[in-house]
Amino acid sequence: MTPKGDGAGPAPPTTPAAATAGGVRPRSPLAAIVGYTLRACLPRRRGLLVLPVVGAVLFGLLSRTVDQASATAFARVGGLALHTLVLPITCLVIGDALLGAEIRSGVFAFTWLSPVRYSTIVLGRWLAGCLLAVALLAPAAAAAAVVAGAPSSAGPAAVAAASGAAAYLALFVAIGATFKRPVVWSLALVILVERLLGAALAGVAQLSPGWLAQAVLVGLTDTASDLHRDGVPHGWSAVVRLALVAAVGLILATRRLRSLRPASAAD
Amino acid sequence: MTDATPTDPAFVAGATVEVEQVSVWFGQKVALSELGCSFGPGVTGLLGPNGAGKSTLMRAVTGLIGVNTGRVRVEGHDPRRDRSVHRRIALVPEDEAVPGALTARQLVRYVADLHRVADAGAAAERALDAVDMLPAADRRLGGFSKGMRQRAKVAAALVTEPSVLVLDEPLNGADPVQRVKLVDLFRRLGAGGRTVIVSSHVLSEVELLADRVLVLIHGRLAAAGNHRAIRDAMDDRPRHVLVRSDDPRRLAAALLDVDTVAGVSFTGTGLVVTTDRARDLALALAPVARRLGVRLREVRPLDDSLESLFRELVR
Repeated sequence: MTPKGDGAGPAPPTTPAAATAGGVRPRSPLAAIVGYTLRACLPRRRGLLVLPVVGAVLFGLLSRTVDQASATAFARVGGLALHTLVLPITCLVIGDALLGAEIRSGVFAFTWLSPVRYSTIVLGRWLAGCLLAVALLAPAAAAAAVVAGAPSSAGPAAVAAASGAAAYLALFVAIGATFKRPVVWSLALVILVERLLGAALAGVAQLSPGWLAQAVLVGLTDTASDLHRDGVPHGWSAVVRLALVAAVGLILATRRLRSLRPASAAD
Repeated sequence: MTDATPTDPAFVAGATVEVEQVSVWFGQKVALSELGCSFGPGVTGLLGPNGAGKSTLMRAVTGLIGVNTGRVRVEGHDPRRDRSVHRRIALVPEDEAVPGALTARQLVRYVADLHRVADAGAAAERALDAVDMLPAADRRLGGFSKGMRQRAKVAAALVTEPSVLVLDEPLNGADPVQRVKLVDLFRRLGAGGRTVIVSSHVLSEVELLADRVLVLIHGRLAAAGNHRAIRDAMDDRPRHVLVRSDDPRRLAAALLDVDTVAGVSFTGTGLVVTTDRARDLALALAPVARRLGVRLREVRPLDDSLESLFRELVR
């Protein structure tokens, strides 16, 4: 394009090669998407993001009321509350903002109408969400463990929160790319599938980020054996399972983007 | 790009965008119905009432939606399946949705980065300058007026230097000065060899802006060509001519006996003569007035503007 005021018409169309040849090296689209997502997509009232930290610490304090070894009490009360409430709700809020909210508003067209591969778009959005979720939840979980009097559980709690968040966000990104009301579907996944079905069926729990995150904490800490669920991997095996769940979520989201009809605000 | 020389005004030689028998429907609603047309370098205006299918056509051309039947090609590629097409095409969507937390500069830079534009910062500056947005470039889009949002979106589209630029109501909300500047910008882009497709409800601006006009109604192509050619194609429809004279009543009575006159009515400003053959009326009017001794003060077709064509087409 010709700068304004030069009196000449605009330059003839340039080819992509000409546009990228020479000059300053172009920025990676993945980095651009991560940066954009952190700036533009995440909740406007960022002060609210302190809530999960406060909640986690309060649940840590609640663990002190249980008359058991600190690590066991934290896993039984604080850890459970973290993985069934704080983790999924925080990830739901962040996950919807990563993709679903943009698709609904029509803003996603700015990203979709680019030569960037769908997988890069999904990966960039997810990475940005992970950065925020891990920055919030891992320290919060560690702080909860310390407050609960089980500092040795701080590391495992942080690992459980981080790996659980990665899996949840991938699933919520996939749901955001698939359904018109992703929040409803995400809540249905957490409440109906994970909590109700997952409590009864080990097969569901094996794929549930919430149950698997709890299994990470239980497996990596010296806690009561009754917290181990049959058929559900524990410790680092659960981390690997969560990574697989995240990968499947990202693949589903990528496939879904191929057939997406990005909405306009008029739709 | 096709090299054929089409005779159908809906098609152009050297087309960069080809729409072949395209139908799009949403549930029971048919948005486009077997639409065939093409676009080449220069500015093409897309006209039609709300719900005519303009935005759907633009979204199909850019690949935002797939088509149910037919096919769309942009420089020979399917915009829905071939992501590389987006290096060459850009859309300014009609709706006001923008990432409100970003500044105009950040949005334009983001689009430049996605397209791997070399020296994206400088390219963003040029694009913002082209739409007079530099003074407001570091303000958040969420605080912008509708017109400023439109200009920011135009800048985001221009930063990639697309060869095909699709503008859905780009002048919405722009103040008069900015409208003139944007119209001038789009014309220069078209003159520079880009394919510019622009829709607008402000038809007088499209008359100034577009070399060629396509009229869509109910998802179908109702007319194509420049606005006069469209009018000529509608010769079987009545045309209205305002005739001002010093004795309109006598003139009206005499004109009713002229074969080409289908009707006469009085308005506050003169006679409105309805005719099926405007050229014959023009030839007959002066002799009739001379014979009556009536002085003609003004003879002006009322429906030669795009607005009137549009009204007739949708009637």
